[in-house]
Amino acid sequence: MPEIFIDDQRFEFEGNPKVLQFVLDQGLELPFFCYHPSLSIPANCRQCFVEAGTPVFNRETNSYELDENGDRVIRWFPKLMTSCSLEATDGMVIKTHRSSEKVARGQKDTLEFILINHPLDCPICDQAGECPLQIQTYKYGPEGSRFEHKKVHKPKRVQLGPNVVLDAERCINCTRCVRFTDEISKSKQLSIVSRGDKNYPLTAPGTEFDDPYSLNTVDICPVGALTSTDFRFKARVWEMNQTPGIDMTGSKGTNIDLWVRNNLVMRITPRYNPDVNDHWMPDEARKDYRRINENRISRPSIKLDGEQVKTSWNNAMLTFNEETGKVKPSEILVIGSPHASVEDNYVLSKFFNRLGVSDVHFANDIEKGRGDDFLITDDRAPNANGCRFLGFTEHDPAALGKAVSASGVKMVVILGDDLIGRGAFPAEAVQGKFTVFMGTNNCDTSNAANLVVPITCSAEHAASYINEAGRIQRTIPAKETVYTSRRLNLEMSLGRLDHFATKFDNWESDDNKVDCIPAWEFLIRLVQETGGDLTYTSSREIMDEIASAIDTFSGVSFERMDDEYGIPLKKENQPQGKTV
Amino acid sequence: MEKFEFNKAERDHIEKIIARYPDSQSAVMPVLWMAQEKFGHVEPDVQKLVAKTLDLPEAHVYGVASFYTQYYKEKMGKYVLDVCTCLSCQVCGGYDMLHYIEEKLGIKAGETTEDGMFSIQSVECLGACGYAPMMQITNDIYVNHLDKAKVDKVIETLKQGKMPEFEPIPMRVAEKS
Ligand code: SF4
Ligand code: FES
Ligand code: FES
Repeated sequence: MPEIFIDDQRFEFEGNPKVLQFVLDQGLELPFFCYHPSLSIPANCRQCFVEAGTPVFNRETNSYELDENGDRVIRWFPKLMTSCSLEATDGMVIKTHRSSEKVARGQKDTLEFILINHPLDCPICDQAGECPLQIQTYKYGPEGSRFEHKKVHKPKRVQLGPNVVLDAERCINCTRCVRFTDEISKSKQLSIVSRGDKNYPLTAPGTEFDDPYSLNTVDICPVGALTSTDFRFKARVWEMNQTPGIDMTGSKGTNIDLWVRNNLVMRITPRYNPDVNDHWMPDEARKDYRRINENRISRPSIKLDGEQVKTSWNNAMLTFNEETGKVKPSEILVIGSPHASVEDNYVLSKFFNRLGVSDVHFANDIEKGRGDDFLITDDRAPNANGCRFLGFTEHDPAALGKAVSASGVKMVVILGDDLIGRGAFPAEAVQGKFTVFMGTNNCDTSNAANLVVPITCSAEHAASYINEAGRIQRTIPAKETVYTSRRLNLEMSLGRLDHFATKFDNWESDDNKVDCIPAWEFLIRLVQETGGDLTYTSSREIMDEIASAIDTFSGVSFERMDDEYGIPLKKENQPQGKTV
Repeated sequence: MEKFEFNKAERDHIEKIIARYPDSQSAVMPVLWMAQEKFGHVEPDVQKLVAKTLDLPEAHVYGVASFYTQYYKEKMGKYVLDVCTCLSCQVCGGYDMLHYIEEKLGIKAGETTEDGMFSIQSVECLGACGYAPMMQITNDIYVNHLDKAKVDKVIETLKQGKMPEFEPIPMRVAEKS
């Protein structure tokens, strides 16, 4: 196998990797700005310099030439090379800053140039703390600048489009943003304009940067030149903790990170998954943090004289058990949800099977024409396939509305889906039927329900969702509820503030913790209330049971999902869901 | 608002330009030139026309047009004084010349006199570093070795509606060794 020597260490490689990517893949560090693994390589920042050479091959003897010590003679490239664009070849010798003074000096001098006109406004810059320029200057840069003249001034606070603000002075002209719109989102809305020390990216005159994926440029901008209109100045990076999750606004299953401070999700950014969304996500999906933070149902409530009145968990369970006792199984309509997790849906169906209700229904949530060929889907729900693979009966919303209105139905149980709000049926359809809504946010359906049970949302529980391609992926709790604690649940992340905060600090409060539990937990408590035998202590355990009980899920586990970027469920095992 | 269009003959000519290159993107510069010759400038609407004609993103055409001071992104005066303030000219007094001209005409670089006669631009190297400081007039004649007296004379000439004469550049012949 071809070999390459990096700082005197031998590595083998396959294919035609570029030196920078290969070095990074070995877990070694090399500073760089303009390179991005999913974009073309312009090699314009010059920060990734290395010394490179190739062994001298003697065609006559058909062997490498050796020096007097018996070492290969190396023909060095005369200048430092940009490792991002340099293809590895067999026998190549690379020196990074770890073994070459010249490279260390090159990196330092490049940084000094880049910083000539860069403002020193890190204390008020959103990028500070996650800024490659800041980090690399700290590690590889010069201590000061020899440039004593006035810095070039460029436009600041340019609203490029609805979601992105540009500070041109901070831009280092790496062209990542331009390449993103050219190569990934294909809107081609950005271009570097003007010349020399005056240039920066901009849209054509009279147009705006309204690309539905525009915020990805904010993620990949290696400095604070592009910032998010929405997130700007809301939180410092080091105040938040970061937890992997799955996007809930579509069926693509886009992998995301939730950034939480004091139990509020401050922002959502994409998380790399080569099989689903690469490094990207749509702008719209980033706004989903509001659903997680705002207008949440906290504490159960029951409807008294047409008003929702808060009640205790005990009373909620009593009421639920009482009402199910009043009706025949055939009179209960159980509605699962493409917006809820596999585990919640599974336990819902298992719970009602025990009561003798054999069918669980769900309404798909499809908006024709919403999707594109990239990450936005017509399907607005993250887990329709989860419902299908559990064998639920799928309906169009209107058809489900008819089923709800049927006179034989005396009790309606709805899991996490604002069916009334999304027009499946009007509130009148459930009048006179005891309606239970297990949901996350106040909505038309919770208003109409007789009993409202607050349940955890994707940001508060560990649970699985199956995307449109049949890939099962899971979330990790990012936000505490009244009943969970990041110090006790070792799966939850602890940020700096979480580490050091006490109850008496003003940056930590209980205000943002919702009084809710996972839907499955509510259901098994109901069973235990009546002395039943349904016992799970975690969603992990539920998934283990699903994996052994249902063919489609065989071999699935949280561990595997974590290790393998989610698991594609085997096509041949996937059932064709019943459709009505 | 004026409407900008290429006529049939011009479109045919553009086709020929495109045919010279592997893709239409490479034809941006000559087509921008054509447009500027026709309309006297490449304002945003003209850039749009070029983008549409070549089927290119508007941002790209804008990027190219804004790179070169030779493309006029707005209506300019009859004479555009492109004063070089790049390195060689700068060290030889380029900025002094620029500021002198600004004072003389009562406008700043990037502006046009009210009578529409003169515009001033501060531009990057025009490749005549050996004759610094220098300026170019309306993408045409180079005026080299500028000093105040020479500037006065050139502006007088231009006010009379005449271009200054072409200055043959003294060639320094390498001495034989
Ligand atoms: S705005 Fe950011 S991503 Fe775009 S060119 Fe400048 S530094 Fe690079
Ligand atoms: S990363 Fe190699 S030149 Fe920018
Ligand atoms: S610097 Fe002025 S012509 Fe080169």
